[in-house]
Amino acid sequence: MFLRHVTKDISAYCHGELSSEESKQFAEHLIACAKCRTKFEEVKLGIKLAEQLPRLSAPDHLWSELEPLLAKQTTSVARPSAPWMWQTKVAVAAVLLVASVGVFWIYKSSRVPQNPKPSWFVKRLDGAPRIGSENIVNNGRLAIGEWLETDGSSRAQIDVATIGNVDIEENSRVRLLQSRADEHRLELVRGKMSARIWAPPRLFFVDTPSAVAADYGCAYTLEVKDDGGSLLHVTSGWVAMESKDLESLVPAGASCETRPSVGPGTAYFDDALPSFREALEKVDFERDAAVRSTALTTVLDHARPRDTLTLWHLFRRSEGADRERLYDKLTSFVSPPPGVTREGMLRFDEKMMSQWVELLEPMWTGNGGGKMVPKKVADAYFKVRNGLSRRLKDMAPK
Amino acid sequence: MAEQLIDGRVIEACQQGDRDAFQLLFETYKDKVFSIAVYSSDGDRALADDITQQIFLKLFTAIRQFRGDSEFTTWLYRLVVNACLDERRRRRRLLPWGESVAVKKTSERKPQEKQYARLEVAEAVQAAIGELKPKFRLPILLKYIEGLSYDEIASVMGCSKGTVASRLNRGHSQLAKRLSHLNNPEVWGD
Repeated sequence: MFLRHVTKDISAYCHGELSSEESKQFAEHLIACAKCRTKFEEVKLGIKLAEQLPRLSAPDHLWSELEPLLAKQTTSVARPSAPWMWQTKVAVAAVLLVASVGVFWIYKSSRVPQNPKPSWFVKRLDGAPRIGSENIVNNGRLAIGEWLETDGSSRAQIDVATIGNVDIEENSRVRLLQSRADEHRLELVRGKMSARIWAPPRLFFVDTPSAVAADYGCAYTLEVKDDGGSLLHVTSGWVAMESKDLESLVPAGASCETRPSVGPGTAYFDDALPSFREALEKVDFERDAAVRSTALTTVLDHARPRDTLTLWHLFRRSEGADRERLYDKLTSFVSPPPGVTREGMLRFDEKMMSQWVELLEPMWTGNGGGKMVPKKVADAYFKVRNGLSRRLKDMAPK
Repeated sequence: MAEQLIDGRVIEACQQGDRDAFQLLFETYKDKVFSIAVYSSDGDRALADDITQQIFLKLFTAIRQFRGDSEFTTWLYRLVVNACLDERRRRRRLLPWGESVAVKKTSERKPQEKQYARLEVAEAVQAAIGELKPKFRLPILLKYIEGLSYDEIASVMGCSKGTVASRLNRGHSQLAKRLSHLNNPEVWGD
């Protein structure tokens, strides 16, 4: 099933022209096939560009120029029956009014929507969830900009276009922000959701008050607490938690906390030692530098080979002596490949970083705690991640 | 919304030569027809005016041949697509060998930094659309300007749904390659 490339179906997939089963097979193939993924990115850009095509307004003089030409052709044609005339005139007046408003609207906006406002199918699971102020009896539709809310005894399931579904748990509040071929986006401001997505990387996003969860074809739970912080737990695939300045890539079996005004903390495996996790929380969110430094010592002392996931993320965020300590600990688990030098790594040489992470990655995806993730997928994630880092770097004020 | 006003009675009245009914039809579809004409004539609005007029003139008489075997819009867009292709063939015959239709490129008209505004993206896309072969351009126009489904596009173009999917795919790829410099978060405000 996975041998057949899917490049010819990319546009149809993005436009929702494939059946649910075909979409699922398409996405499964895409996650595992780098060739199709590259083509997918290209076609996705083409779609994004084509969506910018504005509908143009015909000039007002067209009808006045057309009328005399029509008159020449009218003579041989019979006149219509009388009852039709008043209906026509009312309709013409209505259309002319609509057209005038339309011209003004086009003037105000550079784009004209070609399709009706998208909405997602919502199924009631328990109790009486609400869309806006309306209770969902059995099913409903969530349009862009609308809120779906559950109370202490209600739950609902949302179909994310054709790419997956999301269960909204009790006491949650979620809004649909975007549903386009190249981006589907929810906002979770309170409560908990469980997502199962079979889409290619970076099609489905969830905004929270303290970070954005970017899906990489996976299953995960995301909980937003009252203080705006959130907790992500990934059960399959990978998810990136992103803020303006920070990013954590979280594989299956791992979690990541986020805090308002800080953003995402460091990803950690759920089976890490409690002492490791407690110390990591201080490293991520404690303001006192001395406390953070002591906590980093605990993290280094209690790290297992698999915790190189955490150490690697910390390494990328570290400076000075801490960067050296982290590098030394990482090398105690995995020796750098030929050509990768300490000096190069400490100055974040991008090529060396990529070479080394290829050695580290199997430790994060290959054993215990979570479902095995194909290396190809992880490669793609790091490629995307490195690209993102480059873009952020390029955009930084000089 | 306006298209809902075009029902069997309006079309029947048009077939009988009713000018008011035809004006209703004109007002309903003029922007869509004009848009396709502009994009098919490489942004030449004067030429698009002529093409649009010719299409509606032809429609005024040809509508008597509409039997209701397909949706009216499908039938209309078939007329529009054929008119645009005919006009293109006519222009190509008038051009000397090796001379292609001039397409305005935003990079030649605007300073580099201005390309990174949304309107500039739209202009760049319009120019790039003009460079596509008609068989790739027309499905894109029918999809994004008219909002047709793949089945509807197939019916207008007289080809299979698979061919539509394939041509859209290639059209999207060519757009992406021609405008790869716009694949930049700053352009889209991401």
